[in-house]
Amino acid sequence: MNHWLDLARGPLFAFSLLIMLLGLVRHVVLQVHGLVTRKGPRLARAPWATIATASLSWAVPLRHMGRRTTLFTLASFSFHLGGVLIPLFLGAHIVLWEGLLGISLPSLDGRVAEVLTVLTIVFVPVVAGYRSFVRRARDISRASDFVILLLVWLPFATGFMAAHPALDPLPWTTMMLLHVLSAEALLISIPFTKLAHIVLFPFNRLSEVHWQLRPGAGEQVATALYGEEARV
Amino acid sequence: MATQSIGDISRVPRAHYHIENPALEHKAERFLRAFAAVLQYTDYRPLLDAYSASSARCGRCVASCQVYQASGDPTHIPCYRSHLLLDVYKRHFTATGWLGARLAGSAPLTDAMVDEMAEAFYTCMACRRCTIECPLGIDHGLVTRLGRYILSMAGIAPKALQVSVREQLEGDTGNTSKLPRPALVDTLEFLADEMEESLGVKLQFPLDETDREFAFFCAVSDYIMEPDTLMGNAAVLYAAGDWDRWTIGTQNYDAINYGLFYSDWHLERIVTRLVEEAARLRARTLLVGECGHASRTARQFVPIFGGTNAPPVRSFIEYTLECLEKGKIRLDPEIVTARVTYHDPCNMARSGWIVEQPRHILRSFVRDFVEMTPHGTANYCCGGGGGLVSMDETHAWRMSVAGLTKAEQIRATGADIVVAPCANCKKQLKELVEWHKIPCQVVGLHDLVLQAIDIPGGNTARERQALKSAALPA
Repeated sequence: MNHWLDLARGPLFAFSLLIMLLGLVRHVVLQVHGLVTRKGPRLARAPWATIATASLSWAVPLRHMGRRTTLFTLASFSFHLGGVLIPLFLGAHIVLWEGLLGISLPSLDGRVAEVLTVLTIVFVPVVAGYRSFVRRARDISRASDFVILLLVWLPFATGFMAAHPALDPLPWTTMMLLHVLSAEALLISIPFTKLAHIVLFPFNRLSEVHWQLRPGAGEQVATALYGEEARV
Repeated sequence: MATQSIGDISRVPRAHYHIENPALEHKAERFLRAFAAVLQYTDYRPLLDAYSASSARCGRCVASCQVYQASGDPTHIPCYRSHLLLDVYKRHFTATGWLGARLAGSAPLTDAMVDEMAEAFYTCMACRRCTIECPLGIDHGLVTRLGRYILSMAGIAPKALQVSVREQLEGDTGNTSKLPRPALVDTLEFLADEMEESLGVKLQFPLDETDREFAFFCAVSDYIMEPDTLMGNAAVLYAAGDWDRWTIGTQNYDAINYGLFYSDWHLERIVTRLVEEAARLRARTLLVGECGHASRTARQFVPIFGGTNAPPVRSFIEYTLECLEKGKIRLDPEIVTARVTYHDPCNMARSGWIVEQPRHILRSFVRDFVEMTPHGTANYCCGGGGGLVSMDETHAWRMSVAGLTKAEQIRATGADIVVAPCANCKKQLKELVEWHKIPCQVVGLHDLVLQAIDIPGGNTARERQALKSAALPA
């Protein structure tokens, strides 16, 4: 079993991380390249201050807690906090990053990490419940939305149990193997699923940039489809 | 705003509209061909990449969508609608879609799916209210518009919009209302007579004057349907002493731009015509009358499509406020005593830059001014945005679904007068208050300004009021 764990924590982990990083870099490169080559000088015309204000209002979404969205806002805010901070700054992960990349990140206080992990473990199922039982959310949910929630939840649940032997029904090595493998499944899925918003979210917010339409493009599209004599 | 849903989805009226080519064949193929051309020549690809790869479908947008709130129909959820287009993009124009088709056999676009898009993208007013509540900032209004654009390039567009744009760009009159130049001249002479009678000053509307500060453009329908708005505009220019600083051009006197609603191609051509007319008149500034989408298109797209020497664009509301603040005009606070509320046209407030300016003007002379809840950039659409109000066949849907929230908002204010500085909003709101039996009058901002303005060398507002009551039968 230890052999499997070493394999999972070593080469498999490096492989998953590489897939994730390459996939995310591809997304960012395509975005930046697309914006720079296509928008060019029109980038400067976009209302950047408005874009920044609107985006920052979501960092702590107090302003966005409407009557119908309070629980969902709390749930998604909490699990995003855990989802970003725990993988990077948990004490046990810091050792991993040092061993693999040689960088030493500051570590989260143990109690804070504990709370964040529990919040994530609790609130991911709350979001799944919201998708299942609230009609408006159920109507636009797909199977993949639930699979992705499970992919996010598993590493947290298995990691928490591995760190608390009293709660762990399996041998530690088995649980840790499950933890590492589920985390790797999550990493690999990131660039290919909606989890890509990890890097795409700033680009998603650029609709005001995209309203800076390209001069002449409308005419070119019409000509390509209907020839020089294109009419309304 | 606690909007009651209609409840039973099967009772929600459909938003059917007339298209020019109802029997079009090979719709899916045409749509994909148009989509490919749009992707090749425009800038939409990075946007579609980002949206289609990362939209989370969290459903938060429903809390802000008045259409969904009224209908409860899941196909009206903004994210559902946007995904109709995003999924086509992902399936047919990305590597992930290519792989998915080969590994999982994901279904290609069908004619039925094109029909669904054709309906869905016109059950959205593109008001962009949901964009504020999308954590990822997805601009469903922009996606709706892009969907409509691709549909129109595939030959599927609302007849009402197509016919108007065709007349404006390729017809003899060059405007959406088919108003010929002699009729414009007649109308302006009639307005001048009216103003002489009521305001007590003799004036002539400046036509084709060159080297003036302002070239004035309004929705051409205002010349036919909204004489009070126009006379209000003229009264401000006269009272402020700017009568010799503006002109109306007779080669192009229509600021309506339905291109904003469904086509980049038309949008740019119409904006270019505005700039050309201003250049012909050698006017320094484009002054745009009371019209939401016309104000936005001019303000947002003249700098983009108008070339390096594009003139600045001002809303008439900004101009009036400046005159008021500089003391160039006087509005009598004793004239308008009824309760007044203000409706923010989406294209002016949320997608524009006009929020506080009209409120400053109104508060300066209206005694009982009340706000709707919510208002400003968080306002609800009148229910006729995105070109829907011009499609008469959508009337039942606009009244009972799209405009339901707005009707409740207006009723809750208890206002006698709703001010809406937009030709489209005014038409929709007038129909709405009648349909919902709300005892309320819908007017333009300058209709009220016209009532309260004192005319130097002519009648004051109070003198006009006295004359008017004397003329009324006992």
